[in-house]
Amino acid sequence: MRLSRIVRAAASVWGVAAVAALALAPSAVAFAQLGQPTPITDEARSMHRLYIVVVSLAFAVFAGVVGALLFAIVRYRRRSPDDPLPPQIHGSAKIEAIWVAIPIIIVLTLFTYSAVVLAKTDRKPPEDALTIRVTGFQFQWQFDYNLQDLGTRNPVNREGTVTVLGTPSSIPELVIPVDEPVEFVLHSNDVIHSFYIPNFLYKLDVIPGLENRFVVVPRVTGTFRGQCAELCGVDHALMLFTVRVVTRDEFDQWIRERAAGTAGAAPTSTGNAQQQ
Amino acid sequence: MATQPIAQERQPLSNAMLGFILFLASEVMFFGGLFAAYFIARADAPSWPPTELLTPEQIQRGVKLELELPLPAIATVILVSSSFVVQWAVWQIRKGNQRGLIWGLLLTITMGLVFLVMQLYDYSTLHFRASDTIFGTTFYTLTGFHGMHVAGGVIFLAVVLIRALGGQFDARHHEAVEAASLYWHFVDVVWIALFTTLYLVP
Amino acid sequence: MATVALPRPAAYERPALLEWLTTVDHKKLGILYLYTTVFFFAVGGILALLVRTQLAVADNTFLGRQAYNEVFTMHASAMLFLFVIPVWAGFGNYLVPLMIGARDMAFPRINALSYWLLPIGGILMFAGFLVDGGAASAGWTAYSPLARTLGPGMDLWIIAVIILGISSTIGAANFITTILRMRAPGMTMFRMPIFCWTVLVTAVLQLLATPVLAAALAMLYIDRNFGGSFFDPNHGGNAVLWQNVFWFYSHPAVYIMILPGMGVISEVIPVFARKPLFGYKAFAFATIAIGGLGFSVWAHHMFTTGAVLKPFFGFMTFLIGVPTGVKIFNWLGTLWKGSISFETPMLFALGFVSMFLIGGINGTFAAAVPVDFAIHDTYFVVAHIHYVLFGGAVFAMFAGLYYWFPKIWGRRLDERLGRLHFVLMLIGFNLAFFPMHLLGLDGMPRRIATYGADTGWELLNLLSTIGAFIIAVGMLPFIVAVVKAFMSPKDQPNDPWQANTLEWYTSSPPPAHNFDDVPEVHSERPLFDLRHGTAH
Repeated sequence: MRLSRIVRAAASVWGVAAVAALALAPSAVAFAQLGQPTPITDEARSMHRLYIVVVSLAFAVFAGVVGALLFAIVRYRRRSPDDPLPPQIHGSAKIEAIWVAIPIIIVLTLFTYSAVVLAKTDRKPPEDALTIRVTGFQFQWQFDYNLQDLGTRNPVNREGTVTVLGTPSSIPELVIPVDEPVEFVLHSNDVIHSFYIPNFLYKLDVIPGLENRFVVVPRVTGTFRGQCAELCGVDHALMLFTVRVVTRDEFDQWIRERAAGTAGAAPTSTGNAQQQ
Repeated sequence: MATQPIAQERQPLSNAMLGFILFLASEVMFFGGLFAAYFIARADAPSWPPTELLTPEQIQRGVKLELELPLPAIATVILVSSSFVVQWAVWQIRKGNQRGLIWGLLLTITMGLVFLVMQLYDYSTLHFRASDTIFGTTFYTLTGFHGMHVAGGVIFLAVVLIRALGGQFDARHHEAVEAASLYWHFVDVVWIALFTTLYLVP
Repeated sequence: MATVALPRPAAYERPALLEWLTTVDHKKLGILYLYTTVFFFAVGGILALLVRTQLAVADNTFLGRQAYNEVFTMHASAMLFLFVIPVWAGFGNYLVPLMIGARDMAFPRINALSYWLLPIGGILMFAGFLVDGGAASAGWTAYSPLARTLGPGMDLWIIAVIILGISSTIGAANFITTILRMRAPGMTMFRMPIFCWTVLVTAVLQLLATPVLAAALAMLYIDRNFGGSFFDPNHGGNAVLWQNVFWFYSHPAVYIMILPGMGVISEVIPVFARKPLFGYKAFAFATIAIGGLGFSVWAHHMFTTGAVLKPFFGFMTFLIGVPTGVKIFNWLGTLWKGSISFETPMLFALGFVSMFLIGGINGTFAAAVPVDFAIHDTYFVVAHIHYVLFGGAVFAMFAGLYYWFPKIWGRRLDERLGRLHFVLMLIGFNLAFFPMHLLGLDGMPRRIATYGADTGWELLNLLSTIGAFIIAVGMLPFIVAVVKAFMSPKDQPNDPWQANTLEWYTSSPPPAHNFDDVPEVHSERPLFDLRHGTAH
């Protein structure tokens, strides 16, 4: 086959790559993080560092193998039908050993690093973590804050629960304080859902009959997307929520406002006056 | 070109027998999947039988998650013995004894049918359905699929019996008999595992 | 050894339709498999175009949300159960007896049964669209408890998949017996075509894994129709049990989907590089290793359930990359210092190697458990599965079709149309699926019927849709080439490609009895030896 055809085929592949690169231009930030959204928790930052290593290795391996492939098909292309038969090499035990040993070393390294990061993300939550009960149901979310279990401070000194309930017309907002451990306890009312926050670089399934929990320490304030990530039925695509990370003071304020709104036989202001 | 030798004893395993054994391996995996589900369910359950899972409606209906041992135990003895009978029948035809084969098959089929009837009767004495907790579901699923395989085995043996009555088997040509007996042993072994797991393990 | 000439039974003519409906000939059954699976590939492709049209723009209402769930479920189910798994039964059926110098498969009538269960399963599955509640809509993975609650289309799907599983399992027993027992004199296990090795290992996987899926499906059926509680935690069942039993089959299944394709590539590259496959034995062992390890990784689909031993499955998943890498390196080694020509089969083979490489690499992302937490159930996974299944299996299928078309139908497919097909497919495929890496990383979950404009996902989705339609357009040169070929005379010689294996010894197409005689086999390349002597 003539070289011009190879060049044209290669050019078309590169043409695709160019189009893809143009498509990337709008997401320059994503580009800088090599595709991942901004990690906003300690755990996410750790996972993101692992990701950077993996993706760099991925590009290196790809470049190496495809580079060798392209080199081979250009350098060893048949130039005429009368070209002689090439040396009929059947293999080499030594070469096989090398390209078994090196990948084993690579995967062992990657596995070890992954295991270290995993230990961090899977750790038991500290005693003073703010606990939020997350309930997934078809097709929205409910977030319950136990007023006795709000982490490092106790802004509302009574029993009770603040509930944020999502509805088909209103996406629920999960508010959490920055720089403190937050524990999520997941329950399902019906089928399997998945509690996914892209900026946490994390998701955990919400499974009926199983209580799943995880803890994170958010480090960046702002509002972030959340979405169900396990097919749960006809309106799975609508099961959205947002996460708003605020300062602890703002969180206390928010919680107090919500608690006052749900106050039934709550203590009067004499109890609350001592709170900030 | 590869050809099959004429006499069976020169080839330890014919293509057909190899294929049949492979099929049996797949059947083992099928029951394996069901057993795995049972073990996982049992490990997960608060107790076994999981009586605390009964709903008020089920309790009111008189659901009892209990198994009686005597009847299935007798059925087990019958089924296990029938394996010995069918093996005896195989030994007979290997010696060329067609009458022995026929009587052996007939007895095995009868014992298999007795087992099935006893199973169905046992079902009728139970105080729970497949929809009564995971206990009921796993019990009827495992014993039900096993029963279906016993029925299939009975049909297989019956076809072989009909062929035997037609004089189709002799000392050197009786592959179907070997296959049917192998299937029957498989069904028997699965039952032993089932009986032990469902009835004997507390 | 003295040979005896046997009197050949006279061929007798039967009406063509009756012949094709009742045939037990492996070649005709192989062709029936190919027609049927390629048909379902087209059906699955149309369903894919529907999916991509819906996702091309944000907040689209082209498909309703229920319809969308049915469409993507049936797209995947058709592609996996009705196309990619049985297409290799088609290639295997046609080629394995020829490659080993046999007259037919070990069990020709079981073979026919295997085939006919395929269209029956397909019709049952798609009949779901006609029932109340529509077709199955829980994804091809049918997770419980969701799958317990859906309409009767799910029951049809369950029964169909069981039937297809039976087809697979009995076919597997047939292939194993044939390959182990019916090879030509001199053809030891390490002298048979590498394609036969991949079919053998695939068959072992099918034999042992498929029944477990049957058990899972039976349990789901009982839950749905007999009040069972296998997957209902309210009555002692376990929602995660479904995933464990399902993936115990479905992970080996993905090797069922790819291994024979790798076998095809391993036949094509040596022919068009004029060198033997580099490391034949290593390749055979790597195939066995992948088959074995394939049973130990299933829970890597479940890292986010919180219910599996993550380090173990993460480790085994990393490990399975090693034999896979060995194969890629062996293909490179075959090309290295070869004499390479670029006929269409070779183009698709080279495309396979590069695209499957990407699919293998992005799979490694998921093996790193903490990375998987981010990408699981997102479009990153959709990218992965399509790079290995389309960039892999489909490219391999086309390599095989262009390569063996002359043998099967006695005509060659037009080279220029083939090249156009390849280029369009390569471009369309990468445009369709590469952006999905970015979408998944950015947080776009799988299986969502629509997305908001505020997500910023529109441009990449639109590019992906355009790519999908380019793939569809790329099928046109292939269709034209096939039609053209069928309208031309059967003019192909026994061995148009100067190939290596026994199927090229006989005529194109072969006579009903396959071979008048079979040469003695001294290496894995009997035809090469005939051409060049056995000194190589």
